[in-house]
Amino acid sequence: MKKVGLILTAVLACLVLLGGCGKKTADADKDTTTNVKSSKKVTLDFWSFWGSGARREVIESIIKDYNESQDKVKIKYSYQPWGDIWTKSLSAITAGNPPDVIVQDINSVAQRADAKQATDITKYLDKGINKRFYSQLFKTTQYQNKTYGLPFNTDTQVIFYNKKIFKNAGLTDKDLPQTWSELDAVARTLDIKKDDTFTRIGFYPLWSLDTQVWALNADGGTSWFNDKNQVKIDTKNKRKALQWILDAQKYYGKKTINRLEAEFGSGVADPFLSGTVAMRAQNINYYTSIKENAPKDFEFGVIQLPEFQKGSGHKTWGGGFTLEVPTGAKHVKESVDFIKYLTSDKVQEKFGAASFDIMANKKANTNLINGKQLDETGQMIYKTADQAMSSTVLTPIPLSAPDYNNLVNEQIDAALLGQKSAKQALKDAQTAVENLVKQHK
Amino acid sequence: MTKRSLRQKQEARWGFFFVAPFLIGFVLFMFGPMLFSLIGSFTDYNLTSKMNFIGLNNFKRMFLNDDLFWKSLYNTAYFTIFNVPLTTLFSIFLAVILNQKLVGMRFFRTIFYLPAVLSGVAVYILWMQLLSPSTGLINTILSWFHITGPSWLFDPNWTKPALIMMKLWSAGGAMLLYLATLQNVPTQLYESAEIDGAGIWQQFRHVTLPMITPIIFYDVITSTIGSFQIFQEAYVMTSNGQGGPANSLLFYNLHMWNKAFVGFDMGYAMAMSMVLFMIVLVLTLINLKLAPRWVHYAGGDQ
Repeated sequence: MKKVGLILTAVLACLVLLGGCGKKTADADKDTTTNVKSSKKVTLDFWSFWGSGARREVIESIIKDYNESQDKVKIKYSYQPWGDIWTKSLSAITAGNPPDVIVQDINSVAQRADAKQATDITKYLDKGINKRFYSQLFKTTQYQNKTYGLPFNTDTQVIFYNKKIFKNAGLTDKDLPQTWSELDAVARTLDIKKDDTFTRIGFYPLWSLDTQVWALNADGGTSWFNDKNQVKIDTKNKRKALQWILDAQKYYGKKTINRLEAEFGSGVADPFLSGTVAMRAQNINYYTSIKENAPKDFEFGVIQLPEFQKGSGHKTWGGGFTLEVPTGAKHVKESVDFIKYLTSDKVQEKFGAASFDIMANKKANTNLINGKQLDETGQMIYKTADQAMSSTVLTPIPLSAPDYNNLVNEQIDAALLGQKSAKQALKDAQTAVENLVKQHK
Repeated sequence: MTKRSLRQKQEARWGFFFVAPFLIGFVLFMFGPMLFSLIGSFTDYNLTSKMNFIGLNNFKRMFLNDDLFWKSLYNTAYFTIFNVPLTTLFSIFLAVILNQKLVGMRFFRTIFYLPAVLSGVAVYILWMQLLSPSTGLINTILSWFHITGPSWLFDPNWTKPALIMMKLWSAGGAMLLYLATLQNVPTQLYESAEIDGAGIWQQFRHVTLPMITPIIFYDVITSTIGSFQIFQEAYVMTSNGQGGPANSLLFYNLHMWNKAFVGFDMGYAMAMSMVLFMIVLVLTLINLKLAPRWVHYAGGDQ
């Protein structure tokens, strides 16, 4: 009996020790890395979701350049799948063992800063570093006047149009739509209807673009929340915007819209590339898909989103990614140095040229427009993007209601399904989101 | 109470020693986290920066203010109420049919079991294509019979039925259980039933069905629990994993996930998980209570 008792204690002791040992070795590892820091190289773990294709190649080449350019720091690149990266980093942060640098969503920087998931890197940055970036991008990295990351790349929403269809319809560059009513007029001239079925669609606003984008375009750049985090869903102009979308839906008919929507999903059958759709609002990155899938003689142009009314501004929406140092990372200074390198002019230019991303660094984009790395179409894309950036609005997640999206979408869906009027839907959404804000107070 | 002998004590110790791996695993990885969730449900825990005790506030908010909580509970209950009986009936039906002794039966068994082998995201993507309103196979077949199919995943009235239909398709797992049980039903029972003049339906009703009730019972309990935990389907099959259109696929666990990882409101999500735990526990207890009335064990009541 004693024997059994002994064995049991021994096993338990081993288990406890194993647990303890595991921790100790981990700590020891950390100690050695910090020791190495003073004498030898520091290894930084860099997480991103660029797993294949041009982005992966170019980021690996950039990291190689960086590793060779100095001998203090070695960057280790870790690819994390898109669906996992942020939940994984969240648990890594909670466990106290995060990556050193991570690519994060630009619209939720403040949310992470508020929850102490990201490191304040202000003191490592040179004054005036903000001038590198489009101002609205840098603004999203600010929380209580401190900087919690630097913007890396971005995007913006524009309208792609089929040049041939325009030409055949006798439309010139002068006729490119500048306002919503001009857009409607041009779309009507490009529509083709045979026996009650549309064989060509001029323009339908909701393919690839959210109601939100049109709502903020109509409302002078104010999205569902304004700068002061007040709920601004039910406004006069947003009602008009939603009504405009409902009118377009009624005009083309749900059947036509559903049919083409399903086709937009797959690359080669893309109705815009086959000429079934004359104009299409899309993220500017759509260019890469056109390059891959369009027939050789396909000609297209890009214009900014039209103004709601003359003079109301070509307001559009953008997103993007930042580079952050998660809370608990050990080598903040070295990590920030690497972030600075990744956002510097030349590196940004290199990444842009390879991936066709619109970069957060203004000068990199200008260099791409004027340089020789891109062909004429590529330069035209970057030129439009650069123009559009001046009226591109970002929509940082409001801390008072971070998960408001489902509430708004439910009401907008109800309107699109014909269950509610535009007015009623936005009114209900406003009430629902205000209720959520109240819950968080 | 009689005092245990030395031998009994020793045996008990060895017993504990051998189940220790399970016990340790259970305490560390099951009971520990559950206890933590219980404690966390009374706090404003957000994973990284705060964990203050806020009493019953999470529960109050859930029941009184959060409309999406009720909506997600409704969606989940709707799914469970239809999914559990339908998949059970369908898999029994399949098993009975595939239990005939005919040439090539193995081939059909394999075919019907295949969907259960395929799993996860690939199946959902496949079904999204099948269910596509204009180009999908299902509506194409319906159109041959001059039926205009619904827009399935785009119409809030049809999203849940579409999902239930998809679940029926992969009833092969449960079918296999029933098939195994059916083959264990002693043939002499059928023989004597036949001598007594019972027809096919009566044989099924009075011999087959009672003999497989333990497995039906098991299947109903596990699939009820599984149905309440539905998450992946909605996360993968709706745009941006939001549970649309009109939140018709916003299931309980999806709402909980949004609260935890979109809003970082982990305390609230933990409270939600506790409520789900209670719901499932109560349902299982009811099932257990009702079981003796209809579940028949061949070896007696043990």
